[in-house]
Amino acid sequence: MKDVLRLAGAQIRVTLRERVSLFWFLVFPLLLLTLLTLIFSGLGEDPRMTFDIALFQQSVPQAEAPDFAGIVEHVFTDASKPVGDRPPLFRLTIHAADAVSRYEEEMERLRLGRLDLVVVVPAGFNDAVLSHLGGSDEAAAPIEIYTSAGRASSTMAHDVVRQILAGVDREILAIAGRFNREAAVSITRREIGTGTEAFSYIDFLLPGIVLMGFFTAGLFSVPGTILFGREQGILKRYWVTPLSTSRFLLGFGIGHMALCGVQFSLAWLLAAVAFGARVSFFSLLPALYLVLAIVVFLAFGFLIASLAKTGNAGMAIANIVNMPMMFLGGLFFPISDLPLPLKILMMGNPLTYLADGLRTSLGVDVAVFPILATFGVPLAWILVSVAVAAHRLRLEEAT
Amino acid sequence: MSDTILMRVTELAKRYGDTVAVDRISFAVAEAEVFTLLGPNGAGKTTTLEILEGIRRPDSGAIEVFGRQMPRIDRAAKQRIGVLLQEGNFEPYLKVREVLHLIGSFFPVARPVNEVLESISLANKANALVKTLSGGQKQRLAIGAALINNPDLVFLDEPTTGLDPQARRNIWEIVSALTRAGKTIILTTHYMEEAETLSDAICVMDHGKIIAKGSPRELTASLAQETFIEFAVPEVSEQQLARLACECETLREQAGLISLQTEDLIDTIDRLLSWSREEAVSIANMTVRQPNLEDVFLALTGRRLRE
Repeated sequence: MKDVLRLAGAQIRVTLRERVSLFWFLVFPLLLLTLLTLIFSGLGEDPRMTFDIALFQQSVPQAEAPDFAGIVEHVFTDASKPVGDRPPLFRLTIHAADAVSRYEEEMERLRLGRLDLVVVVPAGFNDAVLSHLGGSDEAAAPIEIYTSAGRASSTMAHDVVRQILAGVDREILAIAGRFNREAAVSITRREIGTGTEAFSYIDFLLPGIVLMGFFTAGLFSVPGTILFGREQGILKRYWVTPLSTSRFLLGFGIGHMALCGVQFSLAWLLAAVAFGARVSFFSLLPALYLVLAIVVFLAFGFLIASLAKTGNAGMAIANIVNMPMMFLGGLFFPISDLPLPLKILMMGNPLTYLADGLRTSLGVDVAVFPILATFGVPLAWILVSVAVAAHRLRLEEAT
Repeated sequence: MSDTILMRVTELAKRYGDTVAVDRISFAVAEAEVFTLLGPNGAGKTTTLEILEGIRRPDSGAIEVFGRQMPRIDRAAKQRIGVLLQEGNFEPYLKVREVLHLIGSFFPVARPVNEVLESISLANKANALVKTLSGGQKQRLAIGAALINNPDLVFLDEPTTGLDPQARRNIWEIVSALTRAGKTIILTTHYMEEAETLSDAICVMDHGKIIAKGSPRELTASLAQETFIEFAVPEVSEQQLARLACECETLREQAGLISLQTEDLIDTIDRLLSWSREEAVSIANMTVRQPNLEDVFLALTGRRLRE
C-alpha cells in the first residue's frame, strides 16, 4: 500500500506547490463563492422588492355569477407586471383548481425559503362573498396566506398582499354598494416551518460551488496529469518499475479525492464562517452525492484524456466543455429560471442531477428529478466514460 | 565480467506501420559487463532498450533474463532492473528526496534514500525541487532513481546526451562505480568516445539491424592496419582533391576537413606533402591517429554516427 499512498501524497504535494493548479483547485472556488454570495445575496443593498408568490386558485367561476376570485387573481397578475423601469412587485405562479399535486411542493419551497408566500383562494370563495354581501350572517370569504416563519421577506410580502387584498375588498363592497358592511374577505395568516429551515442564497450556492470545484478538478487535473505526464516521460518513468496501472490509478484517485476533500472543507468553512451558511453535509445521502460527484468527474476526466492525444488538446477539450456544462448544471441559479432550449441541454448534464440530488438531500431545495435519476444519470456517465477511456486510453505503452 | 549470460535476446523485431524499428536482432549480455548498443539516431537502440525494459511489446522474438524466458519483461524481472530513460522525467514540483522515496516505494525492497543521494552526489540537493536542478543534476537524480532498488541489471539510455563535458564525466564516474560493484549495464549511446571508454562489449546498430559486434578492441582491430591522417585545407578545388584522391586508398571530405585512410603512413604523408607543394595548397591542423569506433561505423555504413 506504500506505493499507492506515496503516489497520492506526491499528487497532493504537486498540486499544492504548483501555483496555477493551486489557484484553480483551491483559490478559484473560494473566490467564486465569495463573489456570487456578495452579488446575489443582496449584502449591502436595499431590501428586495420582488416577492416570489404562488397563488392557488381553487375557486371555479360559475356561469352568470360574479367572479370575485377572478378579481383577486387579476389584481395579483397586474402586480406581476413591471411598471416602467421598476421591477414587478410579484414573481407569480398561479396554480389552477386541479393542481393539487403542486400544493405540497410549493409549501416545501416556502418552508425552504425559495418562495415568500403561498396564497390560497379556496373553493366556494365566490359563493361565500355573495352570501356575505347578500346580508346573511355567514362569515366573510376566507383567503389563506401562508408565510415562512422567521423570514423577514415573507412577512413583508404578507403585509403587502394584505394591503392589496384590503383594496380588493373595498372594491367588491363598492361594486355591491355595501359600504357599511364588514369586510367581505377575511384573511387568515398561517406560518409554516419553525423559522430554522429557511435557507439563504449561500446555502443554495455552496453545494453548487462544491460540485463546480469537483467538476473542474476532474476535468482539468486528470487530462493534465495523464497527458502531460505521458508527454513529459513522467509516467514512462513509473512503467519501468513493478508499479501496475491499477495501483497507479488507485493512488491517483486517492490523491484526487483527498484534494477534493480539502477543497470542500475550505469552501464549507468560508461559507459557514464568513457568510453564515447553515447547511450541513454530514449525513449519509449528501456524503453519497459528494463521493459520486468526485467519481463521475474523475471518470469524465479520463474520458477527456482518452479523446486527446496531447496535453494541449486535452486542455482544449476540457475548456470547451467546461463553461457550458458548469452553467447549464443549475450550480449557481435554479434550473427553472432558464429558457426551454437551454433546459433541454441541461437534461443530459450530470451536474444537473448531482446538484438537484445534493440540494434536495441537504434540504435546501425541492427535488426536480426523482432520486433514481439523480443517482442513475451520473452512474451512466461513469459507465460510459470508463468504457470509452478503457478502450481508447493507453497509459502504459506509447505508440 | 563473468561468462554467465544474464540476458539473451533472440530474433527480436518491432515495426511501426511500414517502418521497421528493430529487425530481428540477437545478442547476449554477460553478467557484470557493460554492453553498449552504438548507433546513430533512429538506429533502433531506444526501441530495443524499451522492449527490454518492459515498456514496449515486441512483435516477435524471445527474451531470456535472469534465467527465465518471457515474451515481455514481467514485474518480477522489473524488481531486479534499474532504468535510466532517455526521455524520462520527474514531477518538477517534487523534491529530490521525495522522488527517490516515491520510486523506491514501487519496489518490495529499496535502498536507503540518503545512501542513494550520497552515491549520486546530490545529498546537498535533497530538499530542492526537481525544477530547480541543472541538466546534470537531473540526470544524476535519474540515475539515483534507477539504482534505488539495488538492481542487478541497469539500462542507461543515452545517459550523457545534452550534458556538458564536466557533467558527462560525472556520469561516467557513476557508471564506473557501478561496474566496480559488479552490476550489469546495458548502455546506448551515439558518442563513440563514451562507448570506447565504458564498454566491454558493443553492438553497432543501423536501420534496426546489428551490423557489428565485439569488444571495442575487436571492432577497431578490423581497421587496425590502417591509419588516419586528418587535416584542414582553407581552399581547394574538386579537381585538386581528385588528384590527391587517386593517390590514396580512401579519402573523405566534410566541411573543409579531409580524412585520408591509409595502410602505408610514411608513403601517404610523403605524397601528401608533394601534392601540397605541386598544387600550392596549404595544409593546416594535420593529425595522425589510429582508427576508432566512428571509423568502424563509417567503414561499415559510409556514414558518420552523427549524420
